[in-house]
Amino acid sequence: MLELNVQTLAFFVFALFVLGGGLGVITTRNLVHGTLYLILSLFGVAGFFVLLSAPFLAVVQVLVYIGAIAILIVFAVMLTRSMTSLHEVVNRQWVLSTIVAVLLFVMLTVTIILPVWGQDGSLAGQPVSEVVATTTDLGKALVDGNQYVLPFEVASLLLTAAMIGAIVIARDDE
Amino acid sequence: MSVDIEVYIALSAILFILGAMGVLVRRNAILVFMSVELMLNAANLALVAFSRLWGGAEGHLFVFFVMTVAAAEVAVGLALIVAIFRSKQSIDIDELHQMEG
Amino acid sequence: MFQVPTIADLNLGLTLPALSLALGACVLLLLDLFVPRERKEITAWLAMAGIAVSFVLNLAGFNESGTAFLGTFAADQFTGFLNIVILITAFLGVLLSLDYLKRAKIERGEYYVLLLLSAAGMMFMSSANDLIVVFIALELLSIPLYIMATFRAPDLKSEESGMKYFILGAFAGAFFVYGAALVYGATGTTNLPEIFAAVNGIIAAGGSQMFLLLMGTGLILVGLGFKVAVVPFHMWTPDVYEGAPTPVTAFMSVGAKAGGFAGLLRIMVVALPVFVLKDGQTAAAWQQTFWLVAAATLILGNIVAIAQTNVKRMLAYSSIAHAGYIMMAVAAAGTAGVANEATRAALLYLMAYMFTNLGAFGIALAIEKDDGSDTGVDNFIGLAKSKPALAAMMTVFMLSLTGIPLTGGFVGKWFVFKSALDAGLVPLAIIGVLTSVISAFYYVRIIVNMYLKDGEGDPAAGATRYVNWAIYVAFAGTLLMGIFPWIATNLSDTVVLAVEMFVR
Repeated sequence: MLELNVQTLAFFVFALFVLGGGLGVITTRNLVHGTLYLILSLFGVAGFFVLLSAPFLAVVQVLVYIGAIAILIVFAVMLTRSMTSLHEVVNRQWVLSTIVAVLLFVMLTVTIILPVWGQDGSLAGQPVSEVVATTTDLGKALVDGNQYVLPFEVASLLLTAAMIGAIVIARDDE
Repeated sequence: MSVDIEVYIALSAILFILGAMGVLVRRNAILVFMSVELMLNAANLALVAFSRLWGGAEGHLFVFFVMTVAAAEVAVGLALIVAIFRSKQSIDIDELHQMEG
Repeated sequence: MFQVPTIADLNLGLTLPALSLALGACVLLLLDLFVPRERKEITAWLAMAGIAVSFVLNLAGFNESGTAFLGTFAADQFTGFLNIVILITAFLGVLLSLDYLKRAKIERGEYYVLLLLSAAGMMFMSSANDLIVVFIALELLSIPLYIMATFRAPDLKSEESGMKYFILGAFAGAFFVYGAALVYGATGTTNLPEIFAAVNGIIAAGGSQMFLLLMGTGLILVGLGFKVAVVPFHMWTPDVYEGAPTPVTAFMSVGAKAGGFAGLLRIMVVALPVFVLKDGQTAAAWQQTFWLVAAATLILGNIVAIAQTNVKRMLAYSSIAHAGYIMMAVAAAGTAGVANEATRAALLYLMAYMFTNLGAFGIALAIEKDDGSDTGVDNFIGLAKSKPALAAMMTVFMLSLTGIPLTGGFVGKWFVFKSALDAGLVPLAIIGVLTSVISAFYYVRIIVNMYLKDGEGDPAAGATRYVNWAIYVAFAGTLLMGIFPWIATNLSDTVVLAVEMFVR
């Protein structure tokens, strides 16, 4: 089923990044390390985007997630002076939480991970599309009035709201 | 395509569960927030993989909007975390108990 | 080359109510710069003017239906009715905030801008016809609410309230996106009517996409369940409602529910009504789960509310319980043929709940002190002596929340129970009636405190002019809906979400 070539190799490296980074975030005792693990995981996802023929999104992923979001998180870590090692890793209801997480895991395994292979070894025989959405398609869909002008506009409102909000919360009363 | 789409979906499901687990068990607000980012990324991965399967642009567009929302959330969320830290000197969510119950 | 769409293609006329409100928020943001600091009530009046414009536009186009923005935006009577609910909520929210913000010394023009943006998000939610629009509208609804909940900062309670709401809101948002991703994976589209068209094929094929659809539906329920606060996704509600400034609590308790249920009804009734696990079933696959969630919500919300001593916490649990009644209607919508009737019931319930709940929060706000304290159930003792008019109106609100005839709450419950019975959910209807009886305990306790217990009587310093106006409007609405229910039912007479199925 899997032949060994550059793509499969890259897949395994990125999978290691994504899952290793994810595990790191939820187990680390050091917030700065946590941020670095998060960046590793986000980078792995960007790699997957390349493998899945979405180069534009891969670049946006690196720019927005790693370039902006992760850096903001680093700033928050610094501003809250909480980079020193955390005494406790887990919160008080961790037993209950773990049970919930395990239940979720079982449910997702039963309904997604197992059945996606279907009876005939693929997503119910759905063949992988020959066409790939290009960056041009994406741009057209966003502003060409093709379909997604509305969410595009609403997203701009959302960013306005977030900007006002961050300023309102962070501003000291004069 | 040498790796099946299904493998990507399974991987995204595992990443989603890791993120959900992080939100549920960690007590530092920033780490909880990072776990939410992991969950959103799992969704992005699933969307791009499904988009490859169906060949449409909808999945890519959805990812685009999820990233916008993540950026908006991070701005508001970190402002909140810093504000709480200023008044409490702590961002431990187990210590958020001004109200009974 | 580019196919540039004309304005006519976009069908902008239908979107005017929502667009005008969003535009109003942006204009208000600019105008607020010219309003001097000590005259911020001007901003509030401008915000109300914006809401009024949107309201008029909504009424003008009430009976038009169709889609705009090439299928991502649907305008019909469902949208129109919900827009009325949302706009009245926003209007009363502004009225309640006017003096409150001044008393609490947190008066800032941005507050009204955020309120309008959140209301615009709710309106986009009520007309979203695409999973992407539902998601982005959900976030536009939520993000301003996180900030408004924190508006009393550096007050610790308010900050904690915002923080909790934010973390759980972001968590819920992630669930929603993953669920939407799975639905997209199963059907190959994010457009709700197209999902509907694809579902039949998936059932016929019986392949593994069924599981994706099942899990996707479940995760969407989790995501929106957090927003509307149904059990088991309710635990944030009491803390957030107690800590947030009272007018914000009033606004979010109605608005977020209206938006969340709009999204839930649209997705479940428009996109997934024929989603059954095997051919020949008459109820959608999600009905069982919704049934259980509704029953658990009704029981837990009503029983835990009895133990509360703070009015804001009591109203929080009461809002959980009321989400249960609306959830009952949503569950009923899963039965083929009852979908439209049940949708109407949910809408009518939301309208009745809106008037009653805003009124009750208005009175809680009136007896609250400037620093946000004294919102206990005991603070109502003797109110009938010090403020007889307020006490009388609070009595009506409490009776309406219980569901006594001649109040709006009764009308809402009547339609919800009827749709549950028509859908064959008899046990659920019985649970609903029993829990309504239980709810009388904690609602009547407030009436007893006001009339039968001896006490000083709260001076109700918060009952300033605008707060009184808001309470009068809520009071009039509650009674009008109870005595002349046809006013509201006529507004929803042609609500048709579900395409009635001939092939199953």
